[in-house]
Amino acid sequence: MYRGREGQWAFVFHRMSGVALALYLLLHVIDISLVMWGPDGPFNAFLAFYHQWPFRIGLILIIAGVVYHALNGLRIIMMDFTTWGVRYQAPLWYGVLGLTALIGIPVLWKIVPEILGIA
Amino acid sequence: MARPSATTGGARATAPRTLRDAKAAYGTNPELAWWVFMRISGFLLVVLTFGHLWANNMAFNAGEIDFAYVAGRLSQPGVKLYDSFLLLFAMLHGVNGLRYSLEDYVKRPGARFWWKAVLFTAAAAIFVLGVMALWTFSFDEMGAAVRALNE
Repeated sequence: MYRGREGQWAFVFHRMSGVALALYLLLHVIDISLVMWGPDGPFNAFLAFYHQWPFRIGLILIIAGVVYHALNGLRIIMMDFTTWGVRYQAPLWYGVLGLTALIGIPVLWKIVPEILGIA
Repeated sequence: MARPSATTGGARATAPRTLRDAKAAYGTNPELAWWVFMRISGFLLVVLTFGHLWANNMAFNAGEIDFAYVAGRLSQPGVKLYDSFLLLFAMLHGVNGLRYSLEDYVKRPGARFWWKAVLFTAAAAIFVLGVMALWTFSFDEMGAAVRALNE
């Protein structure tokens, strides 16, 4: 009933995105904290490094992870605090996937041309 | 310390699924407080992270972020306040989530202790870095200096 069904995949993606986002958060706080060393410090060189296209694609994946983790988190809150959440957890998960894809459209529309240099 | 799910080999079906289950499983121990905290902070983080992503990825070309942009943002009181809440909730929520993962996958108690010791030490140090960065640029003097830099 559980293995291989929607609930397990929802959990697997939530765990994977959560670990990735937490590790990214630690890195992100470190790199932004480099502003403390001022305009002539290491900040601009670090940012220029991260502006290369592989990292910008990575950032799109981070945004996708944030959106999925956020929406699936709302699904978990519904399952935990409402009487109907668990009953509708599978259709709710398809809603999470659909809404994540939907939000992805304007995000890709904005960021892909920037990476290609045609924005 | 271990959550009930961690002792059953990652069988998430036995993890508490409702507030009543969580109360029964955790009693008054701190894990109940963490269980509730993950949901409250998670709800707040949906708003905080979406706003953060909007400001820096949608309303701006993230590929053009540089010192002047970040310093300009961090000299604004509203950004300081917003990012302080974002930093606090994201660090607590993220590090607690990593702790759940360690407790699920690192089975040997000795290794589990050291993984968590390293995680908490690193997270505390990085949190201090974040707080320092948020308060590096004072509201008035540095804000004016940064605006002059932008012109």
